[in-house]
Amino acid sequence: MKCLRCLRESADVVAKAPDGSGAWEVYYCTECNYSWRNNETEEISVPEKRDAWGQLDKVDFNQMRVNVYRAMKKPV
Amino acid sequence: MGFKDLRSFLSKLEEEGQLVRYSEPIALSPDWSDITRALPRMGQYGPAILADNLQGYKGKKVVAGVHASLANCALMFGHSKHTPLQDQINSLGKRWAAAGDASDAKLIWVENPPCQEVIIEGDDVNLYELLPLHRLNPSDGGFYLPKTCVVTKDMYAPDDIDSENVGTYRCQIHGPNTIGINISNMHDAGEHIAQAEALGVPLPIAICLGNDPMLDFMASTPLKSDESEYKYAAALGDFTYELTKATLSNLDVPANAEFVIEGEILPFERFPEGPFGEFPGTYSGVGKTCRIHVKRVTHRKDPIYSTIYIGGRSETESDMLLALNTCSLLYNQLRVDFPQVRAVNAMYQHGMTTIVSAKPRSPGHAKTIALRVACTPHGTDYCRNIIMVDAEVDPFNLTEVMWALSTRVRGEEDVFFIPSTPGLPLIPADVHPPLGRKLVIDATTPIPPDEFRPSKVVEPYQKSTDWRDTIAKIQQQLQK
Repeated sequence: MKCLRCLRESADVVAKAPDGSGAWEVYYCTECNYSWRNNETEEISVPEKRDAWGQLDKVDFNQMRVNVYRAMKKPV
Repeated sequence: MGFKDLRSFLSKLEEEGQLVRYSEPIALSPDWSDITRALPRMGQYGPAILADNLQGYKGKKVVAGVHASLANCALMFGHSKHTPLQDQINSLGKRWAAAGDASDAKLIWVENPPCQEVIIEGDDVNLYELLPLHRLNPSDGGFYLPKTCVVTKDMYAPDDIDSENVGTYRCQIHGPNTIGINISNMHDAGEHIAQAEALGVPLPIAICLGNDPMLDFMASTPLKSDESEYKYAAALGDFTYELTKATLSNLDVPANAEFVIEGEILPFERFPEGPFGEFPGTYSGVGKTCRIHVKRVTHRKDPIYSTIYIGGRSETESDMLLALNTCSLLYNQLRVDFPQVRAVNAMYQHGMTTIVSAKPRSPGHAKTIALRVACTPHGTDYCRNIIMVDAEVDPFNLTEVMWALSTRVRGEEDVFFIPSTPGLPLIPADVHPPLGRKLVIDATTPIPPDEFRPSKVVEPYQKSTDWRDTIAKIQQQLQK
């Protein structure tokens, strides 16, 4: 299914309400790592009402900031 | 004296009227987010809330607000819940001084610990179903673990508990048994990641949830890389800290934690993570961070998940977790060179605006003290705005601080800037992180020959008393 955030066809159901109520399902996108439930507020779950600020469909993932680590300690 | 686990502290909170039990259905958003956000804005006596009917998670226990108020923090330290803020900070400062290097702290290792009563193997773990997760804020990139104690070891000193790190880092759930974790290179866990990557090996890691209140408090405190959070939790709390070994690694984890997520970070893996509404009140962006592959989750029977609220303009529980130690440590550090310092208010955004009251000993001396704030280990990058006030001004009383700013600041003589200092990526005003800048406002009374028109501050009569309680009682009587 389409990810609400990056708009790639890379999301799927990964969980359901554990109390058996059927209250919600969780969807997770393997491309951008966004998770959402099907019963969240409209600003999350309705594509037209989502904040454009957070959308990743026009973002080049190769240009994202990457955490870099340099060790101060070296092996003896 | 200290509380060995979350449960015993919740019992104490309940005994003192500081715990609300709530079993009505709660929608995950916005209601549960709103509830956790309300708790730290309820004043000195704001309670914790223990709920067991979150939507879809009926029967699972979750608590928020454990550290949300001064009363709760006072109880954590064994004080009366009515203990004022300054008294708590003074007491904490004395405990830090008494703890020294924490070499006398008592630690014991426990077999068959409560945190390992139930074991779930990695392939059977579904974090979305196991933990009562919610989206803290609407533009967060998913469901986060916001109150964590994350344990990693120095790869070159695996048996050294002092260099083992316990820190609070945000963890974004990336699928049923994978977690994105954002750790800066400047933090101790960042050094451990760097070491593992240099060696080309996985880094064992454990995320501990639902911990005793003192460990959560220590995990947010900037200790040195060779100082053990466990030892300082034991020393400051004056109790024996119970530890155990993780089941899949040599890591030391709290024996009484509600949940321990055991996993590993594989070298050089980076995946998109974020945004997250961070403690300075704005969202971080999206960047590529490390990933934890969960191998096993252990937990107590009938576990309690502990969460907090972070983000926004108003008081948050993360502010309170950071505040007391920030004030106390800065105070102790300043007093080494400047015994004229009376009090330090670093309650806001982890000390990004710090207000220091002091009795300057000579003209311009207050500005020197301000510069010392700017170069303390914490102040170097965190203390962006430093305000100096006289010893008679209470830095925790913002009305008095405004009085000092209104009546003592002389513009160009008392306000100066230091450009291009260390800064923070989480502050939008630091435009090119990690570069920032400092602002100093000297709102102390100038000392001659520094120019100031002679004046006398209005003070009450010498034998004045405080009539507020008396008048309030009369008013209550009249309202009956």
